[in-house]
Amino acid sequence: MLKYTLQRIVLMFFTLFIITLMCFVLVRMLPPVELPIEDPHAVVIAQRREAMGYNKPYLVQFGIFLKDVFTRFDWGISDKLYFGQPVADIFLEKLPATCIVNFYSIILSIPIGIMLGIFAALKKNTWIDHAISTLTMIVISVPSFVYAFLIQYFLSFKLGWFPFLMKAGTDYFSPEMFVSMLPAVLSLSFGVIAGFTRTTRAELTEVLTSEFMLLARTKGLTRGQATVRHALKNCMVVVVPAIFGEFIGIMGGSLIIEKIFSVPGVGSLYINSINGRDYAMFMLLTVFYTVIGLLASIIVDISYGFIDPRIRMGSKK
Amino acid sequence: MKNSKRIFSVLIAFIMVLSVVLLASCNGKQGTETTSSGTTETTAGTKDTTDAETTEAVTTSIEVTPFPAGTYTYKDAVGTLATNWNPHTYQTNDDAYPAGFLRVGLYDFIFNDELHPVEGKDPYAGYKIIPEMAASFPVDVTEQVKASNPEYNIPAEATSGYAYTIDLNPNAVWENGEKINADTYVYSMKRLLDPELLNYRAQDYIIGSLQIANGAEYYYQGTTAYMPIGVTTSEYLAAGGKVEDLYIDVVNFWGVDDSYVDANGNVSPQYVSVTDETVYGESVDDAFSGADLYDVYFGPGAAYEAYSPDYVYYAVVYPAGVSFDVVGIKKTGEYQIMLVFAKSLAGFNLLYNLSSNWIVNQTLYEANLSKVGDTDAWASTYNTSVETTLSYGPYKLVSYQKDKSMRFEKNDKWYGYTDGQHVYVDPTDGKTYEFYQTTAIDCQVVSETGTRKLMFLKGELMTYGLQSDDVAEYRNSEYCYVSPSETIFFFIFNGYEEQLAKREANEGFDTTKYDLQTMALKSFRKAIAVTYDKEALCQALFPDCSPGFGIIGDMYIYDPDTGAKYRDTDVAKQALCEFYSVDVSKFDSLDDAVDSITGYDPVTAKKYFNEAFTEALEKGYITDTDKDGKSDQTLRIEYCCSSEVNERMQQRIDLLNEKVNEVAAGTPFEGKIEYYPSAPYGTDWSTKIRQGLSDVVLGGWSGSALDPFGLTDLYVNPERSYDGAWFEAGKVNVTMTLPIDGKDTEITMNLKAWSDALNGTASKDSKGDTYNFGEGQVDIQVRLAILAKIEATVLQTYDYIPCIQDGSLFLLTQQAYYVIEEYNPILGRGGIAYLKYNYNDEDWAAYVASQADGKLSY
Repeated sequence: MLKYTLQRIVLMFFTLFIITLMCFVLVRMLPPVELPIEDPHAVVIAQRREAMGYNKPYLVQFGIFLKDVFTRFDWGISDKLYFGQPVADIFLEKLPATCIVNFYSIILSIPIGIMLGIFAALKKNTWIDHAISTLTMIVISVPSFVYAFLIQYFLSFKLGWFPFLMKAGTDYFSPEMFVSMLPAVLSLSFGVIAGFTRTTRAELTEVLTSEFMLLARTKGLTRGQATVRHALKNCMVVVVPAIFGEFIGIMGGSLIIEKIFSVPGVGSLYINSINGRDYAMFMLLTVFYTVIGLLASIIVDISYGFIDPRIRMGSKK
Repeated sequence: MKNSKRIFSVLIAFIMVLSVVLLASCNGKQGTETTSSGTTETTAGTKDTTDAETTEAVTTSIEVTPFPAGTYTYKDAVGTLATNWNPHTYQTNDDAYPAGFLRVGLYDFIFNDELHPVEGKDPYAGYKIIPEMAASFPVDVTEQVKASNPEYNIPAEATSGYAYTIDLNPNAVWENGEKINADTYVYSMKRLLDPELLNYRAQDYIIGSLQIANGAEYYYQGTTAYMPIGVTTSEYLAAGGKVEDLYIDVVNFWGVDDSYVDANGNVSPQYVSVTDETVYGESVDDAFSGADLYDVYFGPGAAYEAYSPDYVYYAVVYPAGVSFDVVGIKKTGEYQIMLVFAKSLAGFNLLYNLSSNWIVNQTLYEANLSKVGDTDAWASTYNTSVETTLSYGPYKLVSYQKDKSMRFEKNDKWYGYTDGQHVYVDPTDGKTYEFYQTTAIDCQVVSETGTRKLMFLKGELMTYGLQSDDVAEYRNSEYCYVSPSETIFFFIFNGYEEQLAKREANEGFDTTKYDLQTMALKSFRKAIAVTYDKEALCQALFPDCSPGFGIIGDMYIYDPDTGAKYRDTDVAKQALCEFYSVDVSKFDSLDDAVDSITGYDPVTAKKYFNEAFTEALEKGYITDTDKDGKSDQTLRIEYCCSSEVNERMQQRIDLLNEKVNEVAAGTPFEGKIEYYPSAPYGTDWSTKIRQGLSDVVLGGWSGSALDPFGLTDLYVNPERSYDGAWFEAGKVNVTMTLPIDGKDTEITMNLKAWSDALNGTASKDSKGDTYNFGEGQVDIQVRLAILAKIEATVLQTYDYIPCIQDGSLFLLTQQAYYVIEEYNPILGRGGIAYLKYNYNDEDWAAYVASQADGKLSY
């Protein structure tokens, strides 16, 4: 297991290097942002690009990039979106808001989702199950920004329970901030709740019809005991890795929800950096999200082995 | 397995702890949101003092009415928040947002009123320029400087306009109390033009209308700079320019990248000499050489010569070793600077150009400057956060969170609150008030317009820009304001007879049923010109716009000194009357005649439709085989669409059809005119119109609000005008009698030459005499007469049917109102300086809460 884990980590770094190199070269191969015709400032922009080394060979530029990252943890200066400012500082400033909002959303969603899933599975083929399943499908089908607008209209505008936007400031754990985050948290939660409900219901339904459940009941366990001690444990083989995945995904942010509720997070940074061809910002985000994706993949894979002893990672047997 | 489980458990625990630590540490980063409670307290503490001082200072001369006590917060929303408001490096309009609160120019504009009168102008009908960071108006010292400082190269014949001394306002200080003196201005200019820093805004002071003497030499020293020639190559060469100095920007024109190499593998430079015959890109499809591009595209008479101002550059080699000592800014006293310009600048333009400012705080600027990695570039974080910002304007930044919000509060160190100059007389009550009742400005990012509307209706925003869906509901609200813009939109009609004939000759076109050529007849187009009621059209299709009747809009000012508008002149009014066939003699005055124009005259339209029918029959464009007096063919007019037809576009086309058929009823074209949508042409739409391949589109032009004369080129230059393929302005002779050197002179020139002469290019008339009617060359009335004549001539082609004057509508909160309702092209409605409040914040909250559902009604 340890050997397998180490192998995966080495492979992760190798993959990360390849992806980083490819992205760096491909992005730099894009034609430069057109200089505004008739704008006298175009002369300055052209000179600045030259000074920034944009006209050097790609591999030389990549070497400079790696050297700066490893020797000074310098990811570069934003040349477009946040002109002249270090991209790492900007990213770190914006990351907490995204993490907090998504964290609250998951904390709220997972127990509700799992409980609804369990309830639906236990009441399989009853009106309760049908109602939960139908609602789940509807919620999954409707994009989260629709809930966002509905929440904003009814809870903020009509009822006045919440502010329209997330509060300004970095007092993320203050009661005012928590209340101001709730519309965004609720908007994000519907989809996650539905996802966990569906997964849990599907897994538990299957497990509940297994032969070992029949055995458990015949040896005298009550339905509740059998479900908690045997069925739930087995269905968690699928649910728990999904929880890990969600937790790691909290740093990804949501472009639309962050825009609607003015969450000062990283949700729109990636897209903006691509549209604005802000190379330094793009590379930092590419590396960050690649690391997150690769880590999530490793943790989810490895977690299977711990949750279900029958699964042997890397075993040749 | 047990060990592995333990390791995994520890790993998970470690990740979770790490996550919490990361979150906590990020949360603790005060740089993210930088509200300084200390600053707030200071502001609150000093406010009373400021008010008291203000009252005391002002009451010595005039009685100032104090505002009711309380806080007045201006709650604003933007789509994108400023990220860098450094005056040396900011690039976008979003980044310019804080400038109006934090900075003040040497001179500024205010409305004229009883305290700031302008001769011949009613209060609030114009504006006045006042010294702000300057203590007085500039003093021209050109003669002295020319004699004493030859390094500035002031032309020998110049007697004024090149050098000025400016006394600085000694009361101006940074928000921390640090003084702003001549050293500040000199240091800031030195940093702005620093050749190593490559500051984006340096260009504003070395090219264009304000050029600091030797600024370009200092900034570009040791380099070769490429400057756009700004005119066509013919004009450049005619003015004595040399071909060998010209270069083509092949990156922007030819799309050149690293794959374009010569036979030796050298990558093409961005600027290639027009005499360079080296071929780049033989391995790709579109190889080129500079010499070829020049011959084929940009040389005199070549296909794209009209675009040469954009793509052809001249090279300037700047020697190294230029000292800042020779740059045209000097300290001539503790509070006095001398500015020397490379080209003359005087009057309104001088003050206008000095209404922005370049100063930075030296200590803070130096502390935030650093090199970018191992490159030669520099980066500055000056003016990117609260800590890196110092104000010298009416407000100071007290809180900033990237992409979220910024808050400004009154800067109690601003001289304007105590100097007694920043006051106005409210035209509604006749009392005198200070500028800036607003005590704080809260600006938030609100991306969604739907959210903005809800927030506005809850009293959480001061303004809401109406969307098309809102206009019907709020257009007549007493809180609804119109902000007109310069752009005039007009219907461009296809008059390209040859192309229309070709299209009719195409296989599949049934000439027994349909017709195209009639639309090229002037009589038909004259009928169309008076078919549509512009006001009704606006209300139905463009409710946030106003009717447009000429090709030059209502907002253009021809005399910046007085704010006089072109559209208000008699010659401009006369041009409209001629176009709309209005008989001025039937009205009491020219103003009444112009006011009668609606663009809708069904009687005249019917007359012209009948004329068009006769003419079209004679020319064989249409037939009337059954002799019923009606065209056998339906005239089909393709409406040029850039994208798929949506509901609004269909509504526009339907309305055009409905109205034209209403007017054509009872004429030979009754039910015989049909607009239909084209296929989506994307960005090719303008080419389709210019080539006569599509027939009508709603297009528009706009230009500098202070230069209506510059617009003429858009209509007479065949490379820019929409009708250049069938309207040759270079062959349309126009004769005018103008007072030249004190006597009336009859001058005949083609329309293009008139336009060139009007815009400063010497042009020859039919007798071979040369005339230049550019700015400062002749009396303004002469220029206006020429402009009106060109407008009338272009209008009478009937290629352009003016339709709407662009604008926008917005709602202003019930919490506040503008002192002046009338929109001024330069000052707007005065902004926050002239905003007055009906409620302070506390009363406003109570008022909103008292409304049904807490929703305000507008």
